Amino acid sequence: MSAPETIPITLTLNGRALRASVAPATMLADLLRDHCGLTGTKIGCDQATCGACTVLVSGAPTASCATFAWQTDGAAVTTIEGLAANGALDPVQEAFKAKSAFQCGYCTPGMILAAKALLAQHPSPDRAAIRDWMSANVCRCTGYQMIVEAVEDAARRMREAPR
Amino acid sequence: MNAPIRAIGTAAPRVDADLKVTGAARYTVDIALPRMLHAKVLRSAHAHARVAHVDARKAAAMPGVAAVVTRDDLKGLNPTYGYFIKDQPIVALDKVRYIGDMVAAVAAETEEQAVRALEAIEVRYEPLRTVATIEDALAPDAPALFETPAPGIVPAYGTGASGFRDPAKNVCYRFCYTHGDPAAFARADHVFKDEFRFSRMQHFHLEPFVTLARVEGGQIELWSSCQNPFPLRKELARVFDHPEQNIRVHVPFIGAGYGAKNNCKTEPIAVLLAKMTGRPVRFCMTMEENFLTQSQHAAILRLETGVSKDGRFVARRSEILLDAGAYSDASPLVAEKAGYRINGPYRWEHIDSRCDCVMTNTTPAGPFRGFGGTQASWASESQIDMIARRLGMDPVALRKKNLLKLHEAYVPGESGMDSDLVEGLDLVCREIGYGRGEKTKGRGIGIAIGFKDSGGVNKPAEAQVKATTTGGVIVNCGTAEIGQGIQTAFTRVVAEFFACPAERVSYAPINTDVTPFDQGTNASSAIVVMGQALERAARDCIARILDFAAAQLKCKPGDLRLENWAVIRDNQAHPLAPLIMRHFGGTGFEFVGRGFFKPEIDHHAPLEAKCVSWEIGWGAAEVEVDEETGRVRVVKLVVSGDAGRAIHKDACRGQDEGAAMMGLGQALFETMRYEGPELVNIAAAKYRVPLASDLPETFHAVTQEQGHGPGPFGAKGMGEAGMLPVAAAIANAIEDAVGVRITSLPLSPEKVLAAIERKRSTS
Repeated sequence: MSAPETIPITLTLNGRALRASVAPATMLADLLRDHCGLTGTKIGCDQATCGACTVLVSGAPTASCATFAWQTDGAAVTTIEGLAANGALDPVQEAFKAKSAFQCGYCTPGMILAAKALLAQHPSPDRAAIRDWMSANVCRCTGYQMIVEAVEDAARRMREAPR
Repeated sequence: MNAPIRAIGTAAPRVDADLKVTGAARYTVDIALPRMLHAKVLRSAHAHARVAHVDARKAAAMPGVAAVVTRDDLKGLNPTYGYFIKDQPIVALDKVRYIGDMVAAVAAETEEQAVRALEAIEVRYEPLRTVATIEDALAPDAPALFETPAPGIVPAYGTGASGFRDPAKNVCYRFCYTHGDPAAFARADHVFKDEFRFSRMQHFHLEPFVTLARVEGGQIELWSSCQNPFPLRKELARVFDHPEQNIRVHVPFIGAGYGAKNNCKTEPIAVLLAKMTGRPVRFCMTMEENFLTQSQHAAILRLETGVSKDGRFVARRSEILLDAGAYSDASPLVAEKAGYRINGPYRWEHIDSRCDCVMTNTTPAGPFRGFGGTQASWASESQIDMIARRLGMDPVALRKKNLLKLHEAYVPGESGMDSDLVEGLDLVCREIGYGRGEKTKGRGIGIAIGFKDSGGVNKPAEAQVKATTTGGVIVNCGTAEIGQGIQTAFTRVVAEFFACPAERVSYAPINTDVTPFDQGTNASSAIVVMGQALERAARDCIARILDFAAAQLKCKPGDLRLENWAVIRDNQAHPLAPLIMRHFGGTGFEFVGRGFFKPEIDHHAPLEAKCVSWEIGWGAAEVEVDEETGRVRVVKLVVSGDAGRAIHKDACRGQDEGAAMMGLGQALFETMRYEGPELVNIAAAKYRVPLASDLPETFHAVTQEQGHGPGPFGAKGMGEAGMLPVAAAIANAIEDAVGVRITSLPLSPEKVLAAIERKRSTS
């Protein structure tokens, strides 16, 4: 018997059910970008190193370039497109916007989702913890300081206006 | 009266913020067309070899393959490209010249099919001896990368400067600059000779080199990550012998470049495959391929500097050797800049500089943030510190004694400094606490002043501003948004002239058919070159509006001013929309203004036109050196640039901080490691770039607004300067801390420890 050509999967993508049939080698990043048209997820190094492709899989920051699509069967996947609700930006997005914590913007979706995951676990991280956590993602433009400040600002926003 | 509407210098978010924080910003990498094919290239595993035989017949018959390009498919084309020297082939012709040189390309239905087809291409190489380093390439018996000179021209120079093609074997270009009398050296009390080495970085832009091309009905249309759409159009017209009016280049958001995205990369192959197949072709490189496409220039810099015993700079002779890699790319221009900037912002009686582009069998080197200024500032600012210590002088006092004054000409025939250099120096000294506090063992402070001319050379730019019936304003110019925030800066500048809220101004996408000409988004030129064109375009548009309104109101245009889309006359506001519709009808009208800027040709200026502006990066570092391990920890880093006038303060600060962290990586650890001609740390996981965890405990950029810039409202270009002083400031701090001088980058623990041990054994 030959291996099945595609694998049927069901996941929750940005709050909605998604059924898909994916080839065994299809990466989550490709499913999102090529099949779902969610191009906010960016591919940088394609080696799970730079963090540009970070999405949340059941809340955990995950390199979508190095995760097979079938691995997300049954999981909840959040991409940058899934953060803003009813036209209102998420507090992390608000903070990155207010602090201009981006330049070219290519790493920004991954950075915002990484920060989102940090703040979900640690609502009041100190600066050292932010630097440490955000070191999973490369930003070649900003020099990081304004990103660290944006994460601090996001934490403040989330404490003041819990969602 | 209401307070005037202010658009510049406010804290409002960047105009691209919403798109970029929601993932909606569209880059070339995100664009797809129906029936699109995917291109992949076969790269040479040999550093230097004759290509004896290429057979792609098997590959062409593989599943999903639509076309294969080998050298046989280049007939009838001008198959090479490059800035000045057209030496880089679309795919290898007779030889391959570095590991990664492109040999063949495939377009297939999927990337996987393209990759599999590449494996079926048969190539027979006849390996040649390789030259991996500058020294190898200059050895008398070195093999030549090019047996015959490639076509290309040398730029025109004015007084004191000159350029030469192929002055020696494996040297594709030489730039020389001299002024004053060489006899000045005899008047110097001391002449110090020092040699510095500069290692090369990869740009590490996260968006790869990418092009989507289609050729339909004789029209070439492409979306590209290239930051210079108009030069790209011209180059493609030449390569394909295709009329320029039938080549259309779109440039969406660019996922950064730091210099890398200046010239042809993926475009010729994508266009050729699209032409052959009649289908859209996307050629998107991987990050590893970025490493094999472009790098910074490694360099050897030899400085011979004459000073008087009281610390006055007298004369400097410089010999700079740049590792250009396998193809010339922008190397001649980088040589010009390194050779021209090596004397720094100081006063000299005599200068004699020479910079050679040395060809090696390694990744081609090209533009990189700082553009030769980084190499020059590293060597010059290191040596100035060394000289101060040798003379027993304070390094800051020595600099102050020799710095050019505000408005003082850089060299004879040049424009004057448009920043007060001492003001910036005092600022970073204050910020770092220079000369204050007790000296702690193992801790030291270093200062450096990075320097470059900015705005490009003799660069023309044209801009268009149009205003709609209801007062919407559209900026149309060729400056690409590559992260620097130019959409924000330019829409605010125009809003300020129109005295309207910044939200009323939008930035048109770049399409070479309709966008006015621009030479490229580079050299920190946007605000000082395009910015001047844009200022004129805005004023031209406003003049047309006031002329129209004056005719309607039966007064003189000079009696009117524009504010919030009304004309104001004697404190009475006349809304423009009704005036326009009354005259032009209910469907309305658009007022269009144009503006042009170009520096004058000036044969007395060394580069044939006076430099538009000068970009200065003041830097100060405090380090702690572990004398047991040689490890250097940057405790505090302060950089400062002069924005002249900061149109958007956060964008300015972000540029300098990003540049400074790039400089910190270069100073401490970041380098492309070659073993022979092989790049061994090619993958993202092996090549170390600065992360948030590398941030110094205290780190910030201070944006000065000295107000002397030639751009709108006194603005100056910035974004490169923050990088320029960092490596030298850290090396200077290391000497201050532990008394050893490292003259080669990176300042690795091994080098520092070896120097400490050498010092211990000799003292």
